[in-house]
Amino acid sequence: MFRDCCLTLLVSVLLAGCSATKQSLQCTVPLPRQLFPADALVTQRGVLTVRGRQFSVNGYVAKSRTHGLRLIMTENFGAVLADVLVSPEGKVFVMRAKPSFRRAWIERYIAADLKCIFGEATDSNCPVRVVSPTHFIVERRWYKLDLWTVETKPGPQPAEMFDVTRGDKP
Amino acid sequence: MKTLSAITAAWIALVTAATGQDPLLRPLADSRPVLQELQRKMSEVRSLYLEFTQERHLKLFNEPLKSEGVMLLDRPALVRWETTAPYQSILLGNHKSVAQFESNNGEWKKLKLVFPQLLRRVMEQIALIHQGKLDTLTNDFAISVATGSDVTVLTLVPRDDTMRSMMSSLEVKLVPDFSGTREVLTYEPGGDFTRIIFTRERHNVTFPAGTFDQTNPFGIAAVRTAIDHVP
Repeated sequence: MFRDCCLTLLVSVLLAGCSATKQSLQCTVPLPRQLFPADALVTQRGVLTVRGRQFSVNGYVAKSRTHGLRLIMTENFGAVLADVLVSPEGKVFVMRAKPSFRRAWIERYIAADLKCIFGEATDSNCPVRVVSPTHFIVERRWYKLDLWTVETKPGPQPAEMFDVTRGDKP
Repeated sequence: MKTLSAITAAWIALVTAATGQDPLLRPLADSRPVLQELQRKMSEVRSLYLEFTQERHLKLFNEPLKSEGVMLLDRPALVRWETTAPYQSILLGNHKSVAQFESNNGEWKKLKLVFPQLLRRVMEQIALIHQGKLDTLTNDFAISVATGSDVTVLTLVPRDDTMRSMMSSLEVKLVPDFSGTREVLTYEPGGDFTRIIFTRERHNVTFPAGTFDQTNPFGIAAVRTAIDHVP
């Protein structure tokens, strides 16, 4: 019940956001990746603003020097909204997406933001502003994402987390 | 004999851990008397203060993702759900509206919510479950009851297929005399689940003014202090 309602909320936000086709090319440096250990599990709290309306999310990022990145994004009550794997080469795999949560949107925005903040890529399309070592703002044409790092657990992450065959199929 | 007992105990523990169930639970053929008793008992509760630890168990992670918080209920329909760690967030609801605040370096900011009426509905459901008003939920859930030696378990299974594709069931574990809630678990079809463990519960407390204020909510530390000074 809780998740149903929350998902409906998010889908509405995303539908509004998905009408966007262009991303802002604004580039603000430096990228914040050096603020995180090479191997770690990072917990972030985010507030997504789309057309003046806001929605909060949680992000859990497994970061591996050798295996890449894995993000689980959840809503307030814990339901998984998106599960994304980014290989060390920067290839994106959408492992899980809720119904009505467009994979293209996850690839285009969520994965792009993930790479901007945690990845090694030097893509110029990274509109990330470092407000403080624990506060980042991603600002694109159609949305703004305030991200706060609330917990960082350094240490190697299990290799299985970066196995492209390990995607949940609910 | 001791070895046999140890093996039996280990087996029971293993089964319990594997299924998350009390092996001695007995499902009741007719759950209505228990639900009526629960509702009667909870009708005596004017307000409720609960501290909890939330564990998000995802198959992908070796350890659960943990958070902590408090839930406050005051009749007729005031709800405050606050996450205190690892981040700070407050959800406030009443029968008309809902508000959310996020902490930004110690400063609370009110969100301009998307479709707040849906979030208000979520808060209302939380309040109904914790007030024992399960009869109001029977349109949405099939409700069953099982009892064990030291626990009563209410299981709510969504009737709607779409809802069930996201949440296969919800369990509320209560002290047998309904004097307290131990845990709430929500199970998902893929095997992930969320466990909310209630660590402290107070009934019929008087909350300070502003506890449920949707413009400038009273700080939780001050709420706790006020509650702790009430016998």
